[in-house]
Amino acid sequence: MLRMKKNDFIAGGLFIALGLFIFTQTFTYPSLEKGHPGPDLFPNILAILFIGFGLALILKARKLLPKTEMPCSTPKKISNAFFVVGIVAAYVILVNRVGFLITSAILLFILMKKLEVTLFKSVITSVLITLFINLLFSKILRVPLPYGILGW
Amino acid sequence: MEFIVQGLSLLFDPKVILVIIISAIYGLFVGAIPGLTATMATALLIPFTFFMDPVPALVSIVTMEAMAIFAGDIPAALVRIPGTPSSAAYTQDSFELTKQGKAEMVLGVDVVFSVIGGLIGAFILMTAAPLLAEIAFKFTTFEYFWLATMGLSVTVMVSRGSQLKGALSLFLGLFLSTIGVDITLGFPRFTFGSVELLNGINFIPAMIGLFGVSEVFRSVMHGELAYPIAKVQAGKIFKGMWPLCKRFKLNILRSGLLGTFIGILPGAGADIAAWIAYAFSKRGSKEPEKYGSGSIEAIVDAGTANNSCLAGAWIPALVFGIPGDSITAILIGVLFMKGLRPGPLIFERQPEILYAVYLSFILANLLMIPFGYLAIKSSSQMLRAPRNILMPAILIFCIVGSFAINNTVFDVGVMLVMGILGYGLEANGFPVAPVVLGIVLGPIVEKNFMMSMIKTDWDVTQFFTRPISAILCIVTLLIWFFPLFIALFQKVKPSHPKGRVSKIE
Repeated sequence: MLRMKKNDFIAGGLFIALGLFIFTQTFTYPSLEKGHPGPDLFPNILAILFIGFGLALILKARKLLPKTEMPCSTPKKISNAFFVVGIVAAYVILVNRVGFLITSAILLFILMKKLEVTLFKSVITSVLITLFINLLFSKILRVPLPYGILGW
Repeated sequence: MEFIVQGLSLLFDPKVILVIIISAIYGLFVGAIPGLTATMATALLIPFTFFMDPVPALVSIVTMEAMAIFAGDIPAALVRIPGTPSSAAYTQDSFELTKQGKAEMVLGVDVVFSVIGGLIGAFILMTAAPLLAEIAFKFTTFEYFWLATMGLSVTVMVSRGSQLKGALSLFLGLFLSTIGVDITLGFPRFTFGSVELLNGINFIPAMIGLFGVSEVFRSVMHGELAYPIAKVQAGKIFKGMWPLCKRFKLNILRSGLLGTFIGILPGAGADIAAWIAYAFSKRGSKEPEKYGSGSIEAIVDAGTANNSCLAGAWIPALVFGIPGDSITAILIGVLFMKGLRPGPLIFERQPEILYAVYLSFILANLLMIPFGYLAIKSSSQMLRAPRNILMPAILIFCIVGSFAINNTVFDVGVMLVMGILGYGLEANGFPVAPVVLGIVLGPIVEKNFMMSMIKTDWDVTQFFTRPISAILCIVTLLIWFFPLFIALFQKVKPSHPKGRVSKIE
């Protein structure tokens, strides 16, 4: 896969970068008495492994023959994925203030509309699912869900 | 034995029975819908088990996984899409037989041989685990270190696709496990000043993200439209099963044992069990040409193995706290949450809980017959569940489930990050299961190594001189150099037959 070959290069590079990053962090870690390795031992071993295997990945990727099979993903669908990330991030930021019931129902509604569910079904199922989860987690399992300023 | 009676009484409590029924339906639903895996279902189940007593919590996982692994066979046969990865090995054969009008027979085989496989696994679990626990009493930090390292090595060796990528996934999991205060000095590693990260990444939201949220991304990015589903007359599925049982009795034995053994290997789960059983089945079959175009023998073997594997994975999990597959990796987290430390001590102090678990394996597999029948009957409705409503619903369950463990939205953030990571890894050919195993095994390896060194004042030789340690060390080295042996072996014997299985694709 042509995409795979380029991606493997990037992946290998990222792992090497991670290994180097780990070294920068463990530099300041304390040792045990008599100079024996402590908190830095395991991360350092991992850093060496990341760098070594990352290099191996890059070297292997150079030998890969580019093919053209790829899973189909239209730009619209990719935007769907970013949308999910964005909406969950927004949820995390807002839920404590706005409250669980409202934020969850809105998340469900917006997501379903983006995935092309009809308006009527989106509204009804969002509300129903939110109420069901509230019943299940808050009433039955007694999880203290965040209820926000409005108490919702 | 009195423990069996105690186990039965714990099991046949009305609350536990209710949990079994709900878990069974949940498992069947998750298994039957392509894209929802048993591991994901386990991760999503954990927030609920958090609030249950130990016995119903464990029993719910047992029931759910047994049903899910069986139910994955249904869309495999009817739509040519495996419901869970463990059904992938024989999807082609199942569908070809359905095209020949034999859908009922295929589904009957799926039910019956899943049950038999599950029972074989349960029986081995019940007899082998207590025996192994006796040996485990002799294990000290040295032996646990080698055992966990061995587990890491096996995980890489059996990982699907490139072993290089499997190793990198594993290292990533190991790295994630180092976040938080370390075991020796309580020194914060990679926390960047965050108080929430001092205890490390919370395991459950990480799992929910890796398996649940990543699947939501996948579905949203590559969502399929509705597919045509073959019609099935559920009443006829059990016809002709007994003659098949008799005809394939040796296959059942071989696959049941093979599946359980693969389950015991850390990192090798039901999907690998199915592939390996398929390969062995084809090699030992009198009709190998049928494989791929409708071999019922293939389905018998692989279907038995993937269910027997489930119980096998509980053996190292219960005895050593080392997961046999990703489901039991999550299970170990649950055991700790319930105050049950895996290891020989639960076998000694709370055997009735373990017997309740063994018996639940047997019960779950027996229940597969009526429940399986019902699942097959409602298969066309289940498979028509609209993705664009299902996925948002799963997402909100992931969010709330992640929140519910520690009542903090930080964990929802962890879930999101792990979800993106999980999706990114799988999209580029990096398997995700080794990440989980790294997260679970990492602390075991480090803790036991450090404790061994500190208590012997850094006497490294003890890793090789203690008898059990030495044996485990040799086995681990053999595993590391196994691919090398194979390569040398094949060079020496150029006329080696082609059917060898040395890497799983």
